[in-house]
Amino acid sequence: MKKHTWLSGLGIAAAVALVATGCSSSGGSDSGSTELTFLTHWGPDQVTMLEEAASAFTEENPDITVKVQAVPFANLLSTLRTQGASADGPTIAGIYDAWLPELARDGLAAEAPADVAKDVEENWPEGVVSAASQDGKVYGIPNEIDLYQLNYNTALFEEAGIAEAPTNWDELVTAAEAITATAPDRQGIGFITSWNSGAVHPFLSLLASNGGSFLNAAGDAADLESPEALETAELYQQLVDAGLTDPSMSGANANTTGPYLDNFVNGKTGMIIMANWWEGSLKDAMGDDFANVATAPIPVGPSGDVSSSISYSWDTIVNGNASDEKQEAAWKFLSWLNGPDSGENGSSAMGDILISMGILPSRVSDVDAHAEALSSEFLSSYVTAMETATPFPTVLGASAAADALQRQIEALLNGQADAATAMKTATTDVDAALTAAR
Amino acid sequence: MNVTSTPTVGGSVRSLPRPRRRRTDRAHRGITAAIFLSPTLLVIGLFTMVPMIMTIVISFHRWSMFTPITDMDFVGFDNYARLLNDSARVQAIANTGVYVLLSVLITVPLAFLIAMLLYFPRLRGRNVVRVILFATYVIPTIAIVIIWSNIYAPGYGPLSAMVQAIGLTPPGWLSDPQWALLSLVIFNVWQMLGYYVILLVAGLTQIPEELYEAAKVDGAGIVRQTWSITLPMLSGSLVFVVLMTIINSIQVFDPIYLLTQGGPAGSTNVVSFEIQRSAFQYGQAGDASALAVSLFMLIVLVGVVLNAILKVRKR
Amino acid sequence: MSRSRIRPRTLAQRTLLYVLLIIVAAVPLFPLYWLVISAFKTPAEFVSIPPTWFPTSPTLDQVESALTDVPFAQSMLNSVIIAGGATISVLVTSILAGYVFAKYHFRGKNLMFWSIVATMFLPPIVTLVPLYYLINSMGLSDSYIGVLLPWLANAFGIFLMRQFIMDVPDELIEAARMDGASEFRIVWQFVVPLIKPAVVTLAVFMFVFSWNNFLWPLTILRTEAMYPVVLTLNRLMSYTMSFDYQNVVIAGALIASLPTLIVFLISQRVFVQGIASSGVKG
Repeated sequence: MKKHTWLSGLGIAAAVALVATGCSSSGGSDSGSTELTFLTHWGPDQVTMLEEAASAFTEENPDITVKVQAVPFANLLSTLRTQGASADGPTIAGIYDAWLPELARDGLAAEAPADVAKDVEENWPEGVVSAASQDGKVYGIPNEIDLYQLNYNTALFEEAGIAEAPTNWDELVTAAEAITATAPDRQGIGFITSWNSGAVHPFLSLLASNGGSFLNAAGDAADLESPEALETAELYQQLVDAGLTDPSMSGANANTTGPYLDNFVNGKTGMIIMANWWEGSLKDAMGDDFANVATAPIPVGPSGDVSSSISYSWDTIVNGNASDEKQEAAWKFLSWLNGPDSGENGSSAMGDILISMGILPSRVSDVDAHAEALSSEFLSSYVTAMETATPFPTVLGASAAADALQRQIEALLNGQADAATAMKTATTDVDAALTAAR
Repeated sequence: MNVTSTPTVGGSVRSLPRPRRRRTDRAHRGITAAIFLSPTLLVIGLFTMVPMIMTIVISFHRWSMFTPITDMDFVGFDNYARLLNDSARVQAIANTGVYVLLSVLITVPLAFLIAMLLYFPRLRGRNVVRVILFATYVIPTIAIVIIWSNIYAPGYGPLSAMVQAIGLTPPGWLSDPQWALLSLVIFNVWQMLGYYVILLVAGLTQIPEELYEAAKVDGAGIVRQTWSITLPMLSGSLVFVVLMTIINSIQVFDPIYLLTQGGPAGSTNVVSFEIQRSAFQYGQAGDASALAVSLFMLIVLVGVVLNAILKVRKR
Repeated sequence: MSRSRIRPRTLAQRTLLYVLLIIVAAVPLFPLYWLVISAFKTPAEFVSIPPTWFPTSPTLDQVESALTDVPFAQSMLNSVIIAGGATISVLVTSILAGYVFAKYHFRGKNLMFWSIVATMFLPPIVTLVPLYYLINSMGLSDSYIGVLLPWLANAFGIFLMRQFIMDVPDELIEAARMDGASEFRIVWQFVVPLIKPAVVTLAVFMFVFSWNNFLWPLTILRTEAMYPVVLTLNRLMSYTMSFDYQNVVIAGALIASLPTLIVFLISQRVFVQGIASSGVKG
């Protein structure tokens, strides 16, 4: 049977040869127009707005065109991993700031040219700029910022006889007790599970408002066995033990809707710490009842002085593997897109797109340009909190570390571990995750 | 197989010897075999075996996938040594084991009982039931998890409502770490049961009537008949069903990815999800590949062991 | 040849058995029923406590939205191209290869065959990334061909075909050879008609498998216009966090479930028989 084994052997050899010689021929530089690809997770409405902005840009810069590639958020990072390294990968990508360290290290995020970096440093708040930088060098242009506040149902508060939103942890517990007592199927406060940001960010916001921190200053080890962290875990334990929070009522689906949203909408959850971007969903779901929703700063803990929310941001980066020509064109487009000339009334086009999604822009001039939209009762608390927000750490291994913390928070909420054990295990796992990533 | 004389039956009046029988010539058949086999060998060799080899190679490196595959850092057996260091990974392995065990323990006896129900008693409509059972297998998982996340929802989900109606407190199907994995097993059983029932029904059709007649004459009841006749005669099919259940449940991915993402508290993290997460979320393709290779070796081991058991039983 | 010998004698026995039968039918049926009615419920009704067992005010809005928000029609076409192409290719390669493994003898045949079967045990996630790299380096990512390449041959198909072709009498094939038929003709004219149930089974199996497959097209395709139905549904799932959207997604799930269900129902008699026979010999 020599013939066929020979044939198949040839086939296999050909394949190995192909792989060994690496990628196919690259796109090469086009004579004339440069085409950029913009990878994003936005929905169809925002993609349309982005495409309109891109057309407007092409009118003024005829040799640069921008093509938008939209993928679901859940697939955004994996798309970057499979397509980013190839020559025809996306030129521009909208990324979650936690991914920056890895992207910068591996060359998928190019350092911003000096003029762009200067523009960023001058027009954005410091915390956001630092989240878009590595080792003091700017890598991306920030756009969206998200943070958390205490959302509560004023109708339930009234029913429970609570006059004002809690400002510290004792008041939080009292309010939760009162609300839980009003009806058997209600929970005073909800803590989200089965979704990383939903579980981890509120916990860290409470920790930050207690004067504590997730990682140490160098960002290479956990700081979860500090007294402040233990107090935060003990708060959770106290609420769980007293039956004031029910994890089954606050689960999330893989696409981040689910029981936690439904139960707040249904008036079964009194309070929940959530991000600003769920405003649209609340409005859709609650209709007129949305008037019962109010927001307040994160309650301050016994060891803290100032209410501080965790914040995270999104940046647009330029692919360091793209040709110099494309990179230059990309920065040009991004500067325009995020600059005050591309949108309406002094806002940037990016700012307009974000506001349409009910999302906070981070550029100072955008915040000013949209002051009215941002002064709604729901959002104003968030806007004020931007000043004192604590950015979620953007270091290598932060993703795995966050997952490790999520597991312990969920164990704590389900009564599988007590506060001390949870924090101890979390410290071990977080440290391991951070080390493994280096 | 070079027999040249075949009895000419009836109409085949071509008794004149053929000059050259090139079509049955061995060499010619060799070429034919090569032609028939090469597309298959090319595709499977190129798109299954080569990637498998590449995975093994990657498992000896560190690679974030953000750099070209030619830029990986070699780390030897490091990834394998650290395989069991990570608590999430160990949990994934343990969860996978529990998932497989539960799947087999629930699926196989249930499929057996249903197969008997659909085969022995002459009931009207049992063919319809067979079709319904199988229908759950053909619908895309992504479509079906969407509705199951509502079925499993607390409060407004029908399952919770039904449990409450009989006076019990419904558990947090997907939110309680003690229940989440079991809920996924239930989902898996629901989806795959029809396939196994059909297999077992077929096995039942192979059992000769006479055995049952003889047993009845001897005064054996249904239970006795099942124990001494049905089970032994069905053992081949049963082993096949066990094997397929093990393979399918070891590979489970879609429901975890689409429903629970490994949570809560890592209770539904399984090996295939851990592989995907390590590679695509954490950028640790080397670790993920080492885990994948270990998984494959484990599956082969299970297959070999089961095969050996079968051989011993046949003796 | 159904040999159900036991005719339940007593009414009690019969009732018990029918009750069991109904339960066995209801369990798989219930989630499917729930899927259908939920697609027509309003979002508020969908999360009402307690849940309603039949929509009180059925609406077609969600189905309409699902059909217009994402290109389901286009994605159905894509799925047909992909699943159809894969099915045809697997049938051809499996029949030919199965014939060789069943009827020919050569050194290393068994080793080759069992190596191919061993690849069935490979979880797809294991080879996802290298496979992507391979196909991308051929310049075939984001194309129909790229999606189809790994699916042009299938180990299970070869296994199945070999099983059935082994049962085709050697004498028949010898006789055909004597009459001067080429091997190719022997396969298609003599062997295939005898194993038709198995062929239909394999066709339906491969069609369903490639239609429902989620992970590989997700990895290799970039352009939304080429998305098969499962990816379009995935896209729909992620559109907004909007509360109202849950039911649109469910409507989309219903739409996505229909094609394979219909294909199965049409061919179910032969398909079910074919699967049954494969298991017995395996």
